[in-house]
Amino acid sequence: MSSLRGIEGRLVLISGAGQGIGRATAERLASEGARVLVNDINPDTAQAVAAQVGGHAVPFDVSDTAAVDAALTGIEVEHGVVTLLVANHAYMTMAPFVDHSEFDFERHLTVNLIGTALLMQRCLPGMIESGYGRIVAMTSEWGVIGWPNATAYAASKGGIIALTKSVARAHAAHGIAANLVAPGTTDTPQLDVDAIDAGLTHEEMVAVYAAESPLGRINRPADMAATIAFLLSEPAVALVGQIISPNGGTTRL
Amino acid sequence: MSVTPATAIVTGGASGIGAACVRALREQGLQVGVIDLVDGTEADAFVQVDVRDAAAVAAAVAEIEGLIGPIDCLVTTAGYYREGSIADLTVADWQDMLAVHVGGTTAAFRAVLPGMTQRGRGAICAIGSELGLCGDPFAPHYAAAKGAIHALVKSVAPEVASANVRVNVVAPGPTDTPLLRDDPNFESYASTLPLGRIIQPDEIAAAVCFVLLEDTTLTGQVVSPNGGAVM
Repeated sequence: MSSLRGIEGRLVLISGAGQGIGRATAERLASEGARVLVNDINPDTAQAVAAQVGGHAVPFDVSDTAAVDAALTGIEVEHGVVTLLVANHAYMTMAPFVDHSEFDFERHLTVNLIGTALLMQRCLPGMIESGYGRIVAMTSEWGVIGWPNATAYAASKGGIIALTKSVARAHAAHGIAANLVAPGTTDTPQLDVDAIDAGLTHEEMVAVYAAESPLGRINRPADMAATIAFLLSEPAVALVGQIISPNGGTTRL
Repeated sequence: MSVTPATAIVTGGASGIGAACVRALREQGLQVGVIDLVDGTEADAFVQVDVRDAAAVAAAVAEIEGLIGPIDCLVTTAGYYREGSIADLTVADWQDMLAVHVGGTTAAFRAVLPGMTQRGRGAICAIGSELGLCGDPFAPHYAAAKGAIHALVKSVAPEVASANVRVNVVAPGPTDTPLLRDDPNFESYASTLPLGRIIQPDEIAAAVCFVLLEDTTLTGQVVSPNGGAVM
């Protein structure tokens, strides 16, 4: 673990931080001295993680425009301007493409893509006014290379890539760096969706993905948290619209 | 790497991005050895070597290991930029460009990898280039050499991954170094970047430190702090 500049004392908002990668990111950023706002749609898990890391729980639905605006207004009054944003929340189901109902496609796009866009849109004015911002959006290895049975998820994650690159181009000159992390398959509760789709237990699914990785182990939430923390650091301003892919070497683009 | 890295070698560590990497790694508490054509570094060990000479690179790595111990991290930055059109570049121009960048990088990899794989830990960061991603109409031999480094890293990374050795590229965009200052077009080029300015060497060094020192599953990847030139 290297020491990072520009995180101590800053206000960071992490969406979907009640579990998995978001939770690990909250832990890492708290250890770097950030003031952590733990968002999740589930108030109980948000509260638990906030209590654990010494942060504040801010439960709200990221895909609801009015809820995002109300939450960020409250945050600005109580805590100040969010200059570090991690759009980490995700919704995922898996099924063969031909069986995927239209409703489910909409839900993937609404939560994953539009939810990410709403968070960025609401946080950017404060960053622009501050002349400083770091945004990390979570895409996925599958958002880059595609994946059978995860078409809606992959499409929503691909959309997040184009969204984030566009935001990065628009705001780099304002001192705002927007970048992406594309995790390989990571040992989080979300992995249960793969496991159910494959008819395996969580542990069996972990073993399958570990065997497929050149590094011989599944990605851990802490691997992603370390990558996110770097992209939130001050010198990461030189990265504009980039995708960092900690995946054990499975995909090398 | 669950053990904190203690040592590093930086090729081309006497100036520019290499020197910034030496400073940053030493600030993180590592002992750093430098291999370069010229001295002038604040490193803990220095050996004067031309990286085109693979045997000399291997001997230099062994000498540095004798001074600071087994090498946990390698950064390959040795290189140069020169313009030339495909019509005018000679075979000798091509051979030298490839000998320094691809040959020099490969020589350094081969010198440190046996020890790293034997100890079951290590991290390598090769300096590639934004131009290795998008090409360079003013220097096709440079862009080709840097692109070759990217492909080399993606090839070596899976081979050594099972030994817990990670290999990645940091591919800088236009960076404020002596190498860039020689280019008469750099200021007008910088204004075209989304970032609106050229990149500082310490910003590249921060990316190198992330790639090398954070215990992650990042391997076989190209991390490009390029100011938005290529995305």
